[in-house]
Amino acid sequence: MSGMNEYRGSEGAHPMIANPSHDEMVEQLFVRDLKVMVSQQLEPVQRKIANALTAGEDDITTNDPVGDLRDRMMRFETFKTWLSLKRESQRQLWSAVGTSVTRQADDLAARAAAAPPLGSLTLDPAFQAPAYIVDADIHLMPGGNALDDGGVLQGAVMDRGGAVFMLGRNGGMLNDLRGHTALAHSRTRFLDLEPARILDLGCGIGTSTVPATAWFPQAEVHGVDVGASMLRYAHARARHLGAAVHFSQQSAERTSFPDASFDIVYSCVVLHETSQAGAANILAESRRLLRPGGVAVHLEVPLLHTFGELWEEVSAELEAEFNNEPYWRGALSADYDALMRTAGFTDVQTGYQSTAFGGPASPLSFGPTSNGVFRSWFVTSGRA
Amino acid sequence: MMPRLPQSPNKLAPIPGQRLIDEQTLAMIVALASETIVLRARLDTCERLLIDAGLIAPDAIETYSPDATAQSQREGLRLASMRKIFRALHESAEAELANIPDAHGAVT
Repeated sequence: MSGMNEYRGSEGAHPMIANPSHDEMVEQLFVRDLKVMVSQQLEPVQRKIANALTAGEDDITTNDPVGDLRDRMMRFETFKTWLSLKRESQRQLWSAVGTSVTRQADDLAARAAAAPPLGSLTLDPAFQAPAYIVDADIHLMPGGNALDDGGVLQGAVMDRGGAVFMLGRNGGMLNDLRGHTALAHSRTRFLDLEPARILDLGCGIGTSTVPATAWFPQAEVHGVDVGASMLRYAHARARHLGAAVHFSQQSAERTSFPDASFDIVYSCVVLHETSQAGAANILAESRRLLRPGGVAVHLEVPLLHTFGELWEEVSAELEAEFNNEPYWRGALSADYDALMRTAGFTDVQTGYQSTAFGGPASPLSFGPTSNGVFRSWFVTSGRA
Repeated sequence: MMPRLPQSPNKLAPIPGQRLIDEQTLAMIVALASETIVLRARLDTCERLLIDAGLIAPDAIETYSPDATAQSQREGLRLASMRKIFRALHESAEAELANIPDAHGAVT
């Protein structure tokens, strides 16, 4: 397993990452191991219980097989304990990371201030985040994505927390494989494209935005997000990584950029955190912003139809409900081909892009089937 | 130091059938497990540093033999910890005992 380890000096993927003390590192490793225990040791037993309950039930006798199985699982005490521990492990993650980040507040502010002058940052003090961001803190991160702590702390929590949460599967401490994969998709399908301007919608701390500067060094790269702390951190992080990115605080549903002002507009795992209306607006906005012939790429987690057993759907639904991702089901069962055409795209395709583990040097592979979680990502793309 | 970030997420959906005390107890056990694991790692670091610095032999802890005074003090520490940890069990057993009526119908 790549990602965190206790070897001193291994943390420094970039100077903005919050480095844990001796005790904080052990605490974060404990949370990581706890999450692995919950998902890889306790959950498989629940899966076996679910499969035992549904064995031989080939005929669908209910309109809601997922809800029905969930109700039956609720009769088992260990199911509820597993679910409680799963959520508590997530709360412990943010607690451990938040404590470590808060301790380094002054140092992080100094490191942000010392970043080389590259790109730009535009914050909007009057900005109102959408309801789907503020009504429930996504992934249980206290304060949520839109929190403005006045500095870079929430961004630092998101970065370090993501590295712990992802268990190293999304590009280690850089957490950037989704961005690389979305851009790999644009190269796979639209080899002729020479983008001058690129926009990442819902960029967060810029983990998926910075890769655009590696794939297309000649392009001007922008990122928008709802969180001021996220964006301050994103800008400092990008500058320390030598990437010139222009970050601005805006809703991905409606930005201030003029019509037809970008060649590539992309998003990474944003749609399932928004509402259905929000997702449709983001697709429409990505269309509005593209020059004729420009390309939109929207990357998501695997869609529902790729799920195997009923248990996988129950498990994912629990994740959505108790990890505050209420729009998960709608986003993962949407007809993206139709949604993209409705948004005005042509040459629309949906499928799975192989994860670009090697960045811009990665082999390019796109097809109709998933290689599995973290080995490929669902993408939908089209031309303006 | 006052926390500069919020500690609790907005919206925690209730888990059906779970009592609040179940979740609280679980959360405390997870937190204690975290504390114990961190403490154990810190102790391990101390031992390794002491050995590396030549201040103690690698088998110094395993071969440590406390004298009578130390043994007595260490027993006191053990029992104090046990009283603290298992106080609730003693309390509730004593309370149940106190609620059993005696032969004359009165509560003892």
